[in-house]
Amino acid sequence: MHVGQVISGSGHVVLIGWVLLGGLFQSDPLPIEATEVSVISGADFEALLAARQPATPETGPETETEIAQPAQPEGVEEPPVVPQVSEPVEDAAAPEVVATPPADDAPEVTELTAPPEAEVSDTPPEQQTPPEETAVLVPNQAEQAVPLPSDRVAPEPVAQPDPEAALDPVQQDAVVQSDTGETPQEPQEATAPEAAADQIVTEAEKPAAAPRTSVRPPARRPTRPAAAPAADPVVEPEPRTAESTSSDTDAAVQAALEAALNPPSDAPAAPSGPPMSAGEKDVLRVAVSSCWNVGSLSSDALKTTVTLGVSMTPDGKPVSGSVTLLGSEGGTAAAAKQAYETARRAIIRCGARGYDLPADKYEQWKEIEMTFNPERMRIK
Amino acid sequence: MILRVLIACAVMLVTVSVTPVRAESVTPVPKEPLRIVIDEGVIEPLPFATPDFVPENAGSAKMGADLARVVAADLQGSGLFREIPNSAVISQVSDFGAPVQYADWKAINAEALVVGAVNVSGGNLTVKFRLYDVFSGAELGSGLQFQSTTDGWRRLAHKVADAVYSRITGESGYFDSRVVYVSQSGPKDKRKKRLAIMDYDGANVKYLTDSRAIVLAPRFSPNGDRVLYTSYETGFPRIYVLEVGSVQRRVLESAEGVMSFAPRFSPNGQTVVYSQASGSNTDLFTMDISSGRTQRLTSAPSIETAPSYSPDGTQIVFESDRSGAPQLYVMPANGGEARRISFGEGRYGTPVWSPRGDLVAFTKQSKGRFHIGVMRLDGKEERLLTASFLDEAPTWSPNGRVIMFHRETQGASGSSTLYSVDITGRNLRSVRTPEGGSEPSWSPLQK
Repeated sequence: MHVGQVISGSGHVVLIGWVLLGGLFQSDPLPIEATEVSVISGADFEALLAARQPATPETGPETETEIAQPAQPEGVEEPPVVPQVSEPVEDAAAPEVVATPPADDAPEVTELTAPPEAEVSDTPPEQQTPPEETAVLVPNQAEQAVPLPSDRVAPEPVAQPDPEAALDPVQQDAVVQSDTGETPQEPQEATAPEAAADQIVTEAEKPAAAPRTSVRPPARRPTRPAAAPAADPVVEPEPRTAESTSSDTDAAVQAALEAALNPPSDAPAAPSGPPMSAGEKDVLRVAVSSCWNVGSLSSDALKTTVTLGVSMTPDGKPVSGSVTLLGSEGGTAAAAKQAYETARRAIIRCGARGYDLPADKYEQWKEIEMTFNPERMRIK
Repeated sequence: MILRVLIACAVMLVTVSVTPVRAESVTPVPKEPLRIVIDEGVIEPLPFATPDFVPENAGSAKMGADLARVVAADLQGSGLFREIPNSAVISQVSDFGAPVQYADWKAINAEALVVGAVNVSGGNLTVKFRLYDVFSGAELGSGLQFQSTTDGWRRLAHKVADAVYSRITGESGYFDSRVVYVSQSGPKDKRKKRLAIMDYDGANVKYLTDSRAIVLAPRFSPNGDRVLYTSYETGFPRIYVLEVGSVQRRVLESAEGVMSFAPRFSPNGQTVVYSQASGSNTDLFTMDISSGRTQRLTSAPSIETAPSYSPDGTQIVFESDRSGAPQLYVMPANGGEARRISFGEGRYGTPVWSPRGDLVAFTKQSKGRFHIGVMRLDGKEERLLTASFLDEAPTWSPNGRVIMFHRETQGASGSSTLYSVDITGRNLRSVRTPEGGSEPSWSPLQK
């Protein structure tokens, strides 16, 4: 408020002061330049303009100039006369007269019964109390894997292999020749074991259902077979041709002397080299297991344990003719025969390319006894 | 003479005294083989090859190919074998007596090889075969030869397949067998039923009755020459015996107005065990077929039905609701105290004793689904093999390895189809029939 009064008061003081004292500060007027002009009459002005105009008048822009037509190009013939050939128009066949379609039979009209009225009640439905919000905890444990449905059942489940990989018990990556590689390697195809489930999945056991038992393969502990009673090698003395004239006593004396003075020269020698490690034995066991197919065995044969003996060549291949049945337990003779044939197939088939055995311990695995016990396979 | 004996004794003494010294100095170590134990293997079909049978005369080539296809289908259909297709075969067999090129068959991973020959002469057919273990490089068993008329060529193929199956698995086959069943046609509310008989694989279907009367539950006799079944021909269910060869039939004696059903032969074929309803009660009875004499086996106020003999004929497994819900029981064949063997959740029915005697097949209804399952006679090791809207009426293959049953689909237009499954639960497959089929009964192996 005071500001307005001050401004108003100041304005009035300035105005009153200018009115009273304005004459004291009057300045001199600005100097004006004066130019002399002469006044002439209209006739003189016309005469002056007439004296400045030229003698010939200028041509106006409206002048038209004819432009010569361009010369016609030579050799231009007259446009050919197109004969107007009128194609003979076939006489269009008279359109068939379409008989008037018979009128549709009148549909049977059936009165539909009115739909029953919906029962509506005035009372609003009770609203259910929503469940309290609860935080969803992320399970710490991943969902259990469902068993793989597969035609092949093996001790350890194997996922579907790479379609480009060849089937082989041993998994290996593909090796391709490289120009930059310093150590050249032979190219080889990728291999992978065949897909397998670790248990039979029936239709009643949904694959989506959680398995009742852990799908983890049972713990495998390298088992050492119970030492079979080592039968002392029976060394039969070579029959000697006794003189026909000597009596039985002479022969007995001669035999006793031979036995006493010439002990068997082929006395067994201790296997050379270090003993086989558990891992090396396990490699052989797993390799044979992968070919031991008990799927076609009878239930009786599945209760029969057989022990086979086999001789091996230095390159790890079984000698086919050397596979013999050393003993059986738990089944009939017929069942033992089936079990033996199945085990023999396993040894020969998976050893066709040679088992992965340490060459420097050949004496250790030159002769092998394999015991095939199907007890754990009966529950698959 | 005495001198020589003395010398011999002296030498023996020398032997006894010298040998220990040598033994101590050499100390021979017995050569021990490497020993390993294989206790885990794989279960997968065994790969085999069956090239076309070699024709031994002109005009036998097609028969040779047909025979090989049936043999291969039998073996592969069992689920225990896997045929290697002919396109993969390297070595062609053109001479039945020629030595086998094992390397060629090893190369395609064929573990078994079936080589056959066929001779068609007039209406007679001669088939022979040999089975080889490829990786062992030896023949499995010796060659066999079968003869028949050309009409029976499928049976000869089944017999070859049975022999191959038996030599590899160690148990008898089931291919040369037949199945009697109820053939069904039409919608569910107007379904026509008639008895039909066919080869186990669905071939050679023949009808034994017409569809004028409803027929139920056919059962083969132990030697496959007769069939028991229930018919509503007179309005009441009555049991009939039908001769398969002549298609002649007769009704088993029963009182008028008495409902008899669910019959089954005893293992000796002389007795029939069946259910008989009287009012709201149903009990088990036996009837001597020749004399018609009946014997009551149960007298409980509950429903006892679906009896089945053990293979030795001494016991009967049946279904009863005496505990409140249908369960399985075992009792002596002449009646007596019954022992409950099923204790699982759900309702159990239609038990059938395995030809091996070690298992019982059954139908189970649980949680709105039907299952075909097997269990041991003590009720342990129950294993459900199938699951669907409706699975029912199991029957055993002659060797006790496979179960056939029928499966019905849902809805008014649902149909009934025969299926088979291995007792391990693998190899579930349908059996093709011209019409729908239900209530199969498997015959024994044909002679």
